[in-house]
Amino acid sequence: MITILDYGAGNLASLEGALDRLGFQHQRAERPDEIADKGALILPGVGHFEAAQKALRARGWWSTLPHFVAEGRPLLGICLGLQLLAEGSEEAPRASGLGLLPGLVRRLGPGVKVPHMGWSQVRSTYAHAGVPDLKDPWLYFVHSYALDVGPETLGIAAHGRPFTAITARGRVLGFQPHPEKSGPAGLRLLRSALAWMGETTPNDLGTIQ
Amino acid sequence: MPAKRVIPCLDVKDGRVVKGVQFKELRDLGSPVELAARYDEAGADELVFLDIAATQEYRGTQEAWVREVARTLSIPFTVGGGVRSVEDVRRLLRAGADKVAINSAALERPELIWEAAEIFGRQCVVLAVDVARDPDLGWRVFSHGGKRPTNRSAAEWLTCAATELGAGEILLTSIDRDGTLAGFDLELLDQMASLPVPVIASGGAGSLQHFADALTHGADAVLAATLFHEGTILIPDLKTFLAESGFEVRPC
Repeated sequence: MITILDYGAGNLASLEGALDRLGFQHQRAERPDEIADKGALILPGVGHFEAAQKALRARGWWSTLPHFVAEGRPLLGICLGLQLLAEGSEEAPRASGLGLLPGLVRRLGPGVKVPHMGWSQVRSTYAHAGVPDLKDPWLYFVHSYALDVGPETLGIAAHGRPFTAITARGRVLGFQPHPEKSGPAGLRLLRSALAWMGETTPNDLGTIQ
Repeated sequence: MPAKRVIPCLDVKDGRVVKGVQFKELRDLGSPVELAARYDEAGADELVFLDIAATQEYRGTQEAWVREVARTLSIPFTVGGGVRSVEDVRRLLRAGADKVAINSAALERPELIWEAAEIFGRQCVVLAVDVARDPDLGWRVFSHGGKRPTNRSAAEWLTCAATELGAGEILLTSIDRDGTLAGFDLELLDQMASLPVPVIASGGAGSLQHFADALTHGADAVLAATLFHEGTILIPDLKTFLAESGFEVRPC
């Protein structure tokens, strides 16, 4: 059972719709004591880093997420979710990130239109079981800040400069693009990531070509 | 630079997708969810829904179809039409829209753009603007579905919206070209090419080359309605054409 962290940042309808189409079981949790007994956690997010951090703190997630990860819970951060898992962001210089993914988040630009909004191609750096056969997919992005490229970067996109589109450390995965908004390529990505996290669907052959 | 986007636009009335000439003789084309799924499959990069009769009583219906579209679609979508307040924006985003388009209400109260951008992030605030050529202003901005002239020039209004007010994207419709199939207003696009936010060109598309021309003249995305609805131009064909013309597009 997948648990989606529901802390008021962004709409969850698209993500839940994508999980339904893929056949994954999922539930929302507003607080840490509501999560499923086991299974992957998804940290979604849109909006401002500091506002999201405050909301996560207020609901008790900020202090408990590192424990869940230490216990071996797989965790997927999407968009701002990825950024919150990093070490910190220029968007909130005084606040630090959760540090569950390596690297710093910096503003995009200058010289390009910000936010970076639309479809960009992601080039894979090396193979990872969570995102197997990444075939340089086109994925949908909406963001003004991005994680620097580092040794753990699995997929690189560029907007003005190269940045981390996909990264992983241990059982924690981060996607800067929105897989739930990225057509068939995004659904494939979401499915492979969740399968690697131990989630199964009744129809594991899937319906996505 | 992200890929250039191809965006079908769907007019919605009372929860149905309709097509009509100047709001007369509306023809029912199907449910928003059905059409959205069809365009998703065809390789559209994004969809825009414009609710042409969004009234107070109708809000429940609107939220229902927006929610259903959000659950079905695997690409982003914008909803506009009758958006008058921060509360309207919140309602549509909650229902699952990725972006909300604001038009007339922003002309009456420009701070609405700023307020919405501040609360929800500028990436989900689209300023929709209808403009027509004008001897005094270059291009004059019109409100109320392109029917009511304002005293604003397009250059002034769009610069203000994109820089000071914080709109995340501009949906720019040429009233002169809309429905003519004569091509986008390329001089208008040239004028707006230096805006710091993406511009969606709308109004006038009639051929494959027209779309390529709009992109050459600075548009970040191209929008059309009837041309796609009637199958005059198929999205995969358009994308192939744009790719062959040297533009980066997401393969279908």
